[in-house]
Amino acid sequence: MDQLRMTPLHQWHLGQGANMARFGSYDMPLWYPAGARAEHLAVIEAAGIFDTSHMAVIGLDGDGARDLLQRCFTKDLDRCQGRDKGPLAIGRCVYGVFLAAAGAVIDDAIVYRLAETAWMVVVNAGMGPVVAGHLESQGGSGVRISDCGDQLGKMDIQGPLAARILAKVLHDPGPVLADMVYFSCKGGFGELQTPVPVRLNDGTPLLLSRTGYTGEFGFELFVAADRIVPLWQTVLAAGEEFGLLPCGLAARDSLRTGAVLPLSHQDIGPWPFVNNPWLFTLPWDGGGTAFTKEFIGASALRDDPGDAYTLPFAGFDPRKITVGKDTFVTDRQGDTIGQVLTCATDMAIDRVGEVIVSVATPPAEGRPADFRPRGLSCGFIKVNRPLAAGATVSITDGRRQIRVEIRTDIRPHRSARHPITSML
Amino acid sequence: MKDLSELDFPETVRYTEDHEWAAVDGETVRIGVSDYAQDQLGDIVYVEMPEIGDIFEKGDEFGTLESVKAVSEIYMPVGGEVVAVNEALVDTPELINQDPYGAWIVEIRVTDVGEYDELMSAEDYLEMLRG
Repeated sequence: MDQLRMTPLHQWHLGQGANMARFGSYDMPLWYPAGARAEHLAVIEAAGIFDTSHMAVIGLDGDGARDLLQRCFTKDLDRCQGRDKGPLAIGRCVYGVFLAAAGAVIDDAIVYRLAETAWMVVVNAGMGPVVAGHLESQGGSGVRISDCGDQLGKMDIQGPLAARILAKVLHDPGPVLADMVYFSCKGGFGELQTPVPVRLNDGTPLLLSRTGYTGEFGFELFVAADRIVPLWQTVLAAGEEFGLLPCGLAARDSLRTGAVLPLSHQDIGPWPFVNNPWLFTLPWDGGGTAFTKEFIGASALRDDPGDAYTLPFAGFDPRKITVGKDTFVTDRQGDTIGQVLTCATDMAIDRVGEVIVSVATPPAEGRPADFRPRGLSCGFIKVNRPLAAGATVSITDGRRQIRVEIRTDIRPHRSARHPITSML
Repeated sequence: MKDLSELDFPETVRYTEDHEWAAVDGETVRIGVSDYAQDQLGDIVYVEMPEIGDIFEKGDEFGTLESVKAVSEIYMPVGGEVVAVNEALVDTPELINQDPYGAWIVEIRVTDVGEYDELMSAEDYLEMLRG
């Protein structure tokens, strides 16, 4: 097994009494003393911070960078922004995947356009060398690829009060935050720079991105590795009056699952990227039938769409199964039709009659006055047939069997896309 | 994760290697999980309990604890018949995190009192946890 790695915040996590566990090659906090439930709810009702320094960042620079990304990344960078599908502008970013030639997922990523010919690619823990190597193997002339590796400090602040907390720690926050639309970025650190500088009150430069992995409103903050501990402590102190909590991987997993976001190498992975909830990352033309560009993996997706279907589900109570090699999906006849990829409990939701309601659901849209969610199990299954939303199947680990409903969405009334003007 | 010194192991109950506790309460025995178990599991979000009248032998699985981390089986420290289940855990499973020795899960009429005497004392249990 690889050597256990630590982020610069590792000592802080231990000092707080976090329950730690191995994630990839990193020793990461699962939850802090407040517990995963409180952390999950804080991100939906107030705000939470996450140590995401284990993520990997790759820089691409040069005239050939756009063409290389167009060849390797699923999103069409010339036709992906806004309603009119314009080119990705400087200071904007987009989510997509890197595929191998057979259509399997190498990793998912957010690609940032920092400057005319400078790009940043954020991939999962431990995937920096893999994705950088893939890009290098496909690279033509005119592009410099740098795996930023351990130079990176990164934290996410997520939740409806994130901007108000951030405003307390940023230098001149008004102009910085005023126009930060969903999937935009500003500032920079090290060699990764956008045209608009962003600094903390103490002068620390940072790259600020209005993105996240919780489905809730918020930001990802990138700084030099040696600046992350003071940044974390500054944000934590600023957020105290707002109910900000440090959050571990358990809350991150339950939040992202409820938001129907995949975990790379678990919900997407070494099988063809077809028939799943994330096909919006493919470069569809207006009719949704053909691709607007050629890219690695495209012909495999076109020629062999396969017979595996990845679908979101939600249960009827908090009961879940622990996913392993013996967890299966069965149909009404009891026949095995697939496997369970993720099974978590979204602790902010429950069923009110037929409808799933969240603590964030406005009363006018169905949240009862005395709503106290027990939580619902939810996740993703990969089955051998298409199933319509509303259909029910069973998931089982051989010991217990749980009936779950196929869904198009799980946790309602998420805040990720709320206009920033309403969040300040 | 708390240090063992921060966890509570009352001497008024007895313990199993699987981290359940058992306490004599008059004619019956109440059963729950230890402070160490709840700390390891994290937030409990659901408790599956047996029916009143169910009969178990020592070591039988009698329910599950659903935490944010995993689904964990709970085992009978002693054999007997279930005479009560803690209904409060249906709506507030987090009581197990808040007060692990107050939040009993089942109450049983024991078959063999000798089985209770074989359980670990707080001192022995702590010794086992220290490894």
